[in-house]
Amino acid sequence: MTEHADHDHEHHLPPKSSVKRWLVTTNHKDIGVLYIITSLFFLVAGGILAMMIRAQLWTPGGTLLGGQGYNQAVTSHGLLMVFWFISPFAFGLANYLVPLQIGADDLAFPRLNAMSYWVYLFSGLLFLTSFFLGSSLAGGWTIYQPLNVPAFIPEVNQVGSLATIFALMLFVAAVTMGSVNFLTTFYRMRAEGLRVRDMPLFSVSILLTVWMMLFAFAALLAAVILLSFDHLLGSVWFSTAEGGSLLWAHLFWFFGHPEVYIVFFPALGVMAEVFQTFSGKRIVGRKWFVIAMALVAIQSFVVWMHHMFLTAINLPIKTIFMATTIGISLPFDLMVFALIYTLAKGKIRFKTPFLFSFGALLLFILGGITGVFLGAVVLDYQFRGTYWVVAHFHYVMFGGGTALIGGLYYWYPKMTGKMYDEFLGKVHFAMFFVGFNLLYFPMFVVWETPRRVFDYAAEFTMWHRLATVGAFLFAASFLVMIYNMFKSLHSGEEAPDNPWEYASAGEWAVPSPPPLENYPGVPSYAGGKLSFLTRSEAADGGTVVEQEVAGTEQTAPDGGAIAHAGAAATTPTTDYAEELALEDEHADHASIWPFAISASAFVTFLGLSGISKAYFIWPFVFATGFMVAYFGIEGGRREGFGWIHPVVMALGGAIAAGGAYLLAIDKGGLGAAIDGASVYFWLTTVGAFMGAATLTQLGFEEFNVPEPAIAEQWPFEAVSNVKLGMWMFLGSDVILFGAFIGSYIFMRVGHGWTDWHHDFIPEAHVVLPGLINTYLLLASSFAVVLALVAARQQNRRRLLGYLITTFLLGVGFLINKAVEWEHLFHLHEGAFADGWTFTTNIASSSFYITTGLHGAHVAVGLLITLYLIVRAYNGAYLGEEEADTIEHFGLYWHFVDIVWLFLFPLFYIL
Amino acid sequence: MGPGGISTEIAYVLGQTGGLSRTPADVFNTVYLVFLILGTLVGVVVIGYTLTKAWRYRDDGERDDESESDKVVRPVLGHLPTGSGGGKKLFVSFGISAVIVLSLIVWTYSALLFVDDTPPEVAAEGEEPLEIEVVGKQFNWEYTYPNGHTEEPTLYIPEDRPIRLKVTAADVWHNYGISEFRVKTDAIPGQTTTAWFVADETGTYEAVCYELCGSGHSAMRGDVVVMEQEEFEEWYANTTDGSTSASVNSDVTGDTDANANTNAADPAATEGEA
Repeated sequence: MTEHADHDHEHHLPPKSSVKRWLVTTNHKDIGVLYIITSLFFLVAGGILAMMIRAQLWTPGGTLLGGQGYNQAVTSHGLLMVFWFISPFAFGLANYLVPLQIGADDLAFPRLNAMSYWVYLFSGLLFLTSFFLGSSLAGGWTIYQPLNVPAFIPEVNQVGSLATIFALMLFVAAVTMGSVNFLTTFYRMRAEGLRVRDMPLFSVSILLTVWMMLFAFAALLAAVILLSFDHLLGSVWFSTAEGGSLLWAHLFWFFGHPEVYIVFFPALGVMAEVFQTFSGKRIVGRKWFVIAMALVAIQSFVVWMHHMFLTAINLPIKTIFMATTIGISLPFDLMVFALIYTLAKGKIRFKTPFLFSFGALLLFILGGITGVFLGAVVLDYQFRGTYWVVAHFHYVMFGGGTALIGGLYYWYPKMTGKMYDEFLGKVHFAMFFVGFNLLYFPMFVVWETPRRVFDYAAEFTMWHRLATVGAFLFAASFLVMIYNMFKSLHSGEEAPDNPWEYASAGEWAVPSPPPLENYPGVPSYAGGKLSFLTRSEAADGGTVVEQEVAGTEQTAPDGGAIAHAGAAATTPTTDYAEELALEDEHADHASIWPFAISASAFVTFLGLSGISKAYFIWPFVFATGFMVAYFGIEGGRREGFGWIHPVVMALGGAIAAGGAYLLAIDKGGLGAAIDGASVYFWLTTVGAFMGAATLTQLGFEEFNVPEPAIAEQWPFEAVSNVKLGMWMFLGSDVILFGAFIGSYIFMRVGHGWTDWHHDFIPEAHVVLPGLINTYLLLASSFAVVLALVAARQQNRRRLLGYLITTFLLGVGFLINKAVEWEHLFHLHEGAFADGWTFTTNIASSSFYITTGLHGAHVAVGLLITLYLIVRAYNGAYLGEEEADTIEHFGLYWHFVDIVWLFLFPLFYIL
Repeated sequence: MGPGGISTEIAYVLGQTGGLSRTPADVFNTVYLVFLILGTLVGVVVIGYTLTKAWRYRDDGERDDESESDKVVRPVLGHLPTGSGGGKKLFVSFGISAVIVLSLIVWTYSALLFVDDTPPEVAAEGEEPLEIEVVGKQFNWEYTYPNGHTEEPTLYIPEDRPIRLKVTAADVWHNYGISEFRVKTDAIPGQTTTAWFVADETGTYEAVCYELCGSGHSAMRGDVVVMEQEEFEEWYANTTDGSTSASVNSDVTGDTDANANTNAADPAATEGEA
């Protein structure tokens, strides 16, 4: 592949042997590999914890770990495996393969993809760091409340606990970026002629997974944000006796049940691919298989309360959720049977990938049957909190993991260009499968053991020892795998393009490993099969389209006359060739900023974990001032100085100076403020400054990502990639704010809707500031619309004018809010002699945090506006297409306005 | 499990046998048994079938499948996917599995109604249920009897009389369960949940916390002492309104036939081990 290595150089990417390559790459295949290696690292971390748990259980009431240590081990094991291992492992495969399977040259937003990866890695590192900050979270991976609010966490463990919560928050950020990216790719970048339903089943499964991720993780994000504020600012969401516990349970399981399918679907996709290849048969009932998956994806959002059957929910609701739960099991029956019947009349080769997928099916059947037990509510009552649940979800989730490991073997030759060692692969499977069942099956037998308890009835000892033995065998099997992977990388046989007979998906039609640009031409399925189109000069001087059919060695020159099937009817061949030429546009593949931004986030959140409430806001005030000034400096440096740049710099300086002045007043002098600041304050400040600088650099970086000129884009033909991406992001933001508003309503109903006002809210909380802010925001939205019109008309002065108007209106909004908050904070009226602050009651907590997060959205919007102003001054955004950036910003800004239109009546009027 | 085998058991759970009194433990054990038998059966059939097919259609290079491959269109690299036939078989199997699952769940629904409430027949038959308030707190259980007497950490109850629990928590989320009597419910701050059971044998059992509640969670266990009715009445008469005792077990009998952790006597566990 030396030829391709040269290509890499053309794209400014260092060679794969260089460390720098892996820090700057934005290519989906590189990032896929990074995901896989990182997730295996977290598998080892979670696995070591599992070994500690099993060692503790060797005798009833073992003493290897103390009570707190054991809780920490079970909690971290669960969080690491569910979040940092299994899904990222699947998404490593998806990152590598989805573009290859659907005919895209990369994901829609390569830098965002790199950012997802780096944020994921750093979130995991923050998690591991939490062990060294007293203790990581120790209240179970389900993080039930109020056990995990500061009141119930010893002081020495609070920094580590909050670090774990932030790690989770960063992880969700990574997931959201990834979901937006994949969805845009799926809907905008499929090869010509490839309908969504015709994608390989692995890609179909990933598409459905990212849809679920987009919405489910937004609910988790809401829950985790609220929890972090309970820690950081002392708000009382989850410590409120009336409903705090249940609020968490609802938010968590609204995310948590779809999460089960988020984990399992990619595995299902792998099983479908591997079964088809190694049995040499197309899957039975393909259409129904896809429909069943789609049904599950939708139903997964209406079953969450089956995790709460014992929480005093009433019988009608129980009945409904029992019905939906049984309903969701039925599509799985169909999928399992489809896989089984695919084997019939096959030519089955028991290679390692098939063994793992086949094993996964058997494990899943067992997991499914034991799941039906849990669907019967009378049984569920007694299984709650026992090893039945533990055994069941390990069979299901790690059953899925089993298939994913099969997927790793399946695609290993494609990714590395080397064959793995088949014998070692089979040894791995044998140890894995025996170890798995030795480990988890005894848990069904002694299911009466309470979960997360290291003391159990003496007569269960034998079974628990068997499980421990199985656990160590299971763990050892992974050493065989890792050895196999390393050894084969160096001394494995060279892998051909397609090492598997009957493999049919697109990735097998390109070299192993595939070149940077993936395909030898533009991929097209227009003729019912994959072919690659290239433009070449014809003898008469015109251009013709050459078509190479995948899987055939020779090139079939289809001249102008032999029209390309998809284009023949409407497009003359020469035009089609011109469109092909567009595909040759230069694309960038390297950027250091995703890595740098993620590292900044790591430092910032590490600092925030230990920062005191009184200092929390200041690093961000200073960083905002710095960022604003930096816009001015970078904008001037890159594009030439003008009057706007000093103004912006001065504005930045004013923000920082004003911040310093207020801080000094607050703490009785700047010297006292600095003396009172902890090391965590400085960490946060450094991280926030790094973030400000790196985000700005990312904004100014020229990074060209051509959109495909020829692609299947139903149903989003008319929308650009960025606009679709923005829609997707706002979709998840709707769920986020929906969860906040829902939480507020849940707590208010729990207390009594009308008593709420009387019991919790001071007289001073009046409508007027909210009303003024409503007008300000509406006016600013109008200004953005006018800015867009001005940009389209190429009127630079008016564009600038309207952007500045937007900015000033937004600043007015924030100032008005600050004055209002300041007043409420320092109240001295009747019941609120100590002010009405974050910690006063659930009404103040919900008011400040919900409207505060909206305010943060406004602040982010203002920073973007300033950046737009700096660039617009230098003539950016003028023209029909160039104005798109203003339009995309407008989408965000209008959305923020609309959110306010919900918040205003809820928090001020009702 | 009573004499007479499965059919009696099922009729029993469905409440069709009249005279016998049912307890939540009976209901659970029967439903569990039926699920276990059917689940094993389905598992053996499906997994057996899968293994047979996989072995039957292995590619050992010997099988002459020319005639068969005429019927089977093998996947080809780069071709848009189509499904294989066999949809009818798929739907028949799916239909059968759906019927099994749905009927099982519908069947257990009546059992759910029974467990979720104290049905009049049970209430009428014995004395009225004894109502005890349970408060979970890190890391113990506190019980309050109708006369206001509180007891911690041991629960004293009479044999063969429905016990109704009203459960809540003072600090964090716990879950109260006595495995032997198949009773379990969440203990949530600010919420009250209910559950009921009947202890049909004297002895000492264990109430365990089933929700992670902090560093002492693994040790959050308390004894449950079941006494003969007269013995209980005697003990109860000696408690007074508002009195508290951090109990010592010795003043109460029942230790003689103590069978804490009598899982061997528990049909479900025995089945599970089989």
